[in-house]
Amino acid sequence: MIIKVKNLKKTYEGKVPTHALKNINFSVNKGEFVALMGRSGSGKSTLLHQLGLLDMPTTGEIIMDGIDLVKFSEKEKSDFRLRKLGYVFQSYALLPELTALESVYLPLMLLGINKKEYIKKASDILAKVGLGDRLHHLPKEMSGGEQQRVAIARALVNNPTILFADEPTANLDTESSEIILKLFKKLNKEIGQTIIMVTHEPDDKKYVDRVIWLKDGVIED
Amino acid sequence: MMTILIMTLAYVNIVFISSIFGGIVEAMNNESINNQYSNIVIEPAIDERYINNKEAMQLIDTLPGVVGSSKHYNDKAFISYDEYKDRKDIKSGNWVIKSVDIDDEIKVTQIHESIIKGSYLDSTDRDEIILGKEIAGGQGGGLEHLSLGGILIGDKIDVRFSNNIKRTYTVKGIFSVKNTQVDQMAFVTKKEMESVLNVHNLASEVLVKIENTGDEDDYIKDIKMLGLHDEDIKKWDELMGFTSSASKSFTMISVILGVIGTIVAGVTIFIIIFVSVVNKRKQIGILKAIGMMENTIILSFVIQALFYGVIGVILGASVILFILRPLFITNPLDFPVGWVSLKVTFNIIRISNISLLLASLIGGFFPAFRGAKESILKSIWS
Repeated sequence: MIIKVKNLKKTYEGKVPTHALKNINFSVNKGEFVALMGRSGSGKSTLLHQLGLLDMPTTGEIIMDGIDLVKFSEKEKSDFRLRKLGYVFQSYALLPELTALESVYLPLMLLGINKKEYIKKASDILAKVGLGDRLHHLPKEMSGGEQQRVAIARALVNNPTILFADEPTANLDTESSEIILKLFKKLNKEIGQTIIMVTHEPDDKKYVDRVIWLKDGVIED
Repeated sequence: MMTILIMTLAYVNIVFISSIFGGIVEAMNNESINNQYSNIVIEPAIDERYINNKEAMQLIDTLPGVVGSSKHYNDKAFISYDEYKDRKDIKSGNWVIKSVDIDDEIKVTQIHESIIKGSYLDSTDRDEIILGKEIAGGQGGGLEHLSLGGILIGDKIDVRFSNNIKRTYTVKGIFSVKNTQVDQMAFVTKKEMESVLNVHNLASEVLVKIENTGDEDDYIKDIKMLGLHDEDIKKWDELMGFTSSASKSFTMISVILGVIGTIVAGVTIFIIIFVSVVNKRKQIGILKAIGMMENTIILSFVIQALFYGVIGVILGASVILFILRPLFITNPLDFPVGWVSLKVTFNIIRISNISLLLASLIGGFFPAFRGAKESILKSIWS
């Protein structure tokens, strides 16, 4: 088991509190490719954000390597995100001023790896996602599919324990979506990358090992 | 580019105001030292009219570092001028009249260099007098209505001293310094005054000029050790009165304006970094999601703010030191208190540098802190 979620709740305070997640319990094994699925507003993205330490749950535990990540300080969360987690967002989330190569080696720079090594590592991973010839292109010079592959390369470059993907194909055409999902599958099979992906496409089920269905903030049996 | 220009101007503003006020104060001080008090003034002991210790007065000049000393007799005299010699429309007034030993005086004051009409006294002169422009009148002074109404060189004036002795003098010269008090004085030779007052080798005051202004306290100790224990010995700045309070006011105004200038610079930086943070909200969110520490993000914006500050300091200091200061040295401003130049001191530069950099630091830190502390999701989806 690589991650275990216990009694996780997320409530957005306001005049009328919104209970986005209600007592979530599940676990994911190492090397699993899991999809979080459900209708819009079911809480799947909210759950992913809590797991990826991008947001703070109201109560509950997220345990990795025997440590409850919820108890981390902001600094510890930042360090954990840098060393152990990878993200792929729906909107790619690339820095417009950085080339593909720069975007990918940025996490390695933050880890303090030397220049020669981080350039080599970033180049290799970009080649692995099929962008070996686009190293020096800016996001605006690439298609949506290519930008998403840069984002995947950036998420993988620090060898994350878990890769989180939040509707990674939502902005892509069918062909590009297929390329991305096949790439995820390949990474999962070849290097045993654990992946937790939010998707609303029923067809995506064929790529994953397991689907966790959410409805109104709870996991459906 | 506009930011750098604003920071440069903010720096120039801070340094310029402090320096011009410093220049005004320096001009006032120089006028007092050069034409009124020199560095040290020795006056008689309480209840004494004159300084009696002749030996001690003679020894002052032998002290190392003393440029010279000048003994004066001071008297209040009634001066009158009958322009048409018809005993009608006589102009008159009470003024301070002082005597000088020419050879000593020229080492201590610069009045001999400030003659605007006629010439300075010679040591052998007995029936000649020099007048400040405020006594003579007709020289553009500010107290024209109190003057003798336009004395010309060679005119005769009547002087009645405080002991009622009356003498007629020929006006030999008219002087003008940038000090109204001095311009309301008249000077005769020591021998002439001694004959009027019937004294010999005494003094109403002794002015002492030293090599380094600022060392007065040390010299006062030395002078007292010569035997002038009971005499009233003061430094020039203790005697300045109005001028001293004016310089304190100028210093306060310059501090207030400097603080306002620094706050304006800080607010400018705040706005610039705030706009930069707002425009980069999404990037900040992405960087935080990747794992970049909040402190690193804050530091990057603070460095940006400091960059503007440092460039502002460098360009501002260049404008002050290489353009404005040389310009003011060659073209000083003609102020009523003296010729005013920019007094750019190391202290002003240091304080201005620290102020602007501190303003940049604080102005940059707060918006950066706010931006870095925002939730990752809010930033990314902004």
